Amino acid sequence: MPLKHAKWITGIITLLLIFPIAIGLVGTLLPAFQYFPPLGEYHISLAPWRNLFSQGEFYASLKLTLITGIGAPLLALWLALSLLAWGYQRPFFRKVEAALSPILAIPHAAMAIGLLFLLSPSGWLVRLFSPWLTGFDRPPNWITVQDPYGVSLILALVIKEMPYLLFVMLATMKSIKARESLQVGQALGYSRFTLWRKVLIPQLYPIIRLPIFIVVAFSLTVVDLALVIGPNTPSTLAVTLLRWFNDPDLSMRLMASAGAISLMLVIVVVLAGWELAHLLFSKLTRAERSNGKRFGLTDSLLRLGVVLGLLALLNAFVALALLPIWSLARRWRFPDALPSQWTWDNIDRATPLLIELTSNTLTIALITTLMACTISLVMLETKRHDMARSTDISKPHLFDWLIYVPILLPQIGFLFGLHVLLIYLNLNGDLCAIIALHLMYVLPYVYLTLKGPYLAYEEEYLLQANRLNHQPWRNYVLVKIAMLKPAIFTAFAIGFSVSIAQYLPTLIAGEGRYSTLTTEAVAQAASGDRKQVGSMAMLQAFFPIMVFWLAQFIPPHWTRWRLVLKNLFSRRNKSCSV
Amino acid sequence: MLSVNAFSLSLGDKTLIKDLSFEIADGQILSIMGPSGIGKSSLLHFLSGSLSPNLTTTGEAFLNDEALHTKATQDRKVGLLQQMPLLFPHMSIIENLLFAIPADINKAERITMAQHALEKLGIPDKANALPKELSGGQQARVALLRTLLSKPDYLLLDEPFSELDPALRRDVRAFVLNEIRQANIPALLVTHDPEDAKAMEGECLELGIVK
Repeated sequence: MPLKHAKWITGIITLLLIFPIAIGLVGTLLPAFQYFPPLGEYHISLAPWRNLFSQGEFYASLKLTLITGIGAPLLALWLALSLLAWGYQRPFFRKVEAALSPILAIPHAAMAIGLLFLLSPSGWLVRLFSPWLTGFDRPPNWITVQDPYGVSLILALVIKEMPYLLFVMLATMKSIKARESLQVGQALGYSRFTLWRKVLIPQLYPIIRLPIFIVVAFSLTVVDLALVIGPNTPSTLAVTLLRWFNDPDLSMRLMASAGAISLMLVIVVVLAGWELAHLLFSKLTRAERSNGKRFGLTDSLLRLGVVLGLLALLNAFVALALLPIWSLARRWRFPDALPSQWTWDNIDRATPLLIELTSNTLTIALITTLMACTISLVMLETKRHDMARSTDISKPHLFDWLIYVPILLPQIGFLFGLHVLLIYLNLNGDLCAIIALHLMYVLPYVYLTLKGPYLAYEEEYLLQANRLNHQPWRNYVLVKIAMLKPAIFTAFAIGFSVSIAQYLPTLIAGEGRYSTLTTEAVAQAASGDRKQVGSMAMLQAFFPIMVFWLAQFIPPHWTRWRLVLKNLFSRRNKSCSV
Repeated sequence: MLSVNAFSLSLGDKTLIKDLSFEIADGQILSIMGPSGIGKSSLLHFLSGSLSPNLTTTGEAFLNDEALHTKATQDRKVGLLQQMPLLFPHMSIIENLLFAIPADINKAERITMAQHALEKLGIPDKANALPKELSGGQQARVALLRTLLSKPDYLLLDEPFSELDPALRRDVRAFVLNEIRQANIPALLVTHDPEDAKAMEGECLELGIVK
């Protein structure tokens, strides 16, 4: 990009990144200490904290948050490592990499609703075994989903996070020369799982530390997933805080802000503890790694992880398949395994609502993602500019740090802090505000996806183009952007799916005036109208999968199609002139 | 005529090239040889105006008595051919050629020029093929013609033959020599293969280590 004033642009973008983060933090911190001008509170005090600590619900929620927020990433990491160790050298595993991205694209609320349909007492799993095995002709009185220990929430989190970690790990395999290490180790007589445990996993971990941190922060703070499938009264801390923030008694906001600050502290403490545990663990296992044993008991831990991982994946697929079935069911009585009558009526009846929700969802997602792609390109170009000038290439750029902050901070609290700013700007409930908040969460993923390919681009192509005809902007688009098409399409698909999945940003900035497929599906998930919820969740999953598929399908064919079209037209022109 | 006057190049406090002067007449090719790391490619970058900032140079360059070294890259009208043909992979061969032809020529004329180039290459049927469908030798020739179609005032060649099969090299060299003579512009070839230098039928300068 023939950018002028790259330094200025870097500065402006940096400010634009810092500004909302700072406002959101200050907007949470001040109310937590009783300073909240909108309510006429101008005095700093510890009252919100005293209120918070006197709530029994706070401790119960905190406990659940810790169980689910630490349990889910641990399980997801274990299962992902097991699956990778088991499958990596097998030929079919390459196809798995391609199959993973659509799973990643599915909004987690849709996945949670699918799991609800599968695992609830009247869900498909119980239906499948009833009445011939269980003897039930009516749903049992069990608590399977929304259980008080958060087991179903952990399951939902694992199903969402395991494919992501697997995806990230597969991308790093080349850089640690996994194939070569495995060949050397296997020639020395080591079993596959032992090699992974002793040689590859210790190398892999430092590279994927940041994605793991993102997963931990997500698990500790997730709201929509916990609303659908998490425990109630007490619920996880993030959900409890959301209820306090939305309480008609506005003074509850102060206590909720103190709660949001403590959630931030929880993230910091858990991440620090996680790192410490890793440090201890690697110290303890260091000697064991070189003791020469070719097999080990822990191999079976990885083997067990493979079975559980495959089960979790199967769970995910069945859960997704249930969404369209429910939306097409007319009569589906317990304990039938399939509906006895099918109909389009549910979808017909919901069409006006679905059209409105879909158009809101797509408008927000498309505008946000296009903006995120443009901003990412400008950011990466200034970064490339800096890198070309500086002698120390390994020096991390400011953007690379800032960009992670919004995804590591808990949305709850932070977004309410920003909401106060929106009210001051008179932007609350506006479409622009929704897009702005979405952008904060879409931009990091788009930037991180584009970063690798963009910086690896062979700049000589562009330089040569500029020597051949000096039209830098035109060449930037026609040569560089055109050559980076696959990466840009993928980044677009990821940004699009992130935007579709957003729940809290839409809710808080939109103040309920704009509903999307996600907010409506989460709001109605508990309503019991499975036919309508199924339709919404199905659409919610459909668009990201579609966009992902297009993003993989179009770029390799683009040039061929373009040339065919062009020749078609030029031939027609010629025949006209003859 | 391209002339370079008292060119010196240093990296930090290490002098790589000292007081190099030469002249190249139109249609002639001067070859510069020397071991790698001696600063051959940096000389080309000096002439094309894309020198990396950690290198320091002194000296002057003139094209037909007009100073080059004070001009920005885009005003120099320089053609550069490198090891990689750098054909744009997402454009057909004819689009790659059309890309280089100056925009002020009318459309019909541009297409005739590109088609003429394809005939010269002996691949008129490959107009709509993609670069990857061509052999390495064909790609190198397309790259040269593409550069010449942009009507450069002088041409820089940075080891353009080193990626080619030895059997192909002879043909491509002859093709390059012939085309440059027809275009009648000065050309500078950097290489470490003495065969390249001999084939260009011009002067040859050998750079050594500065003591």
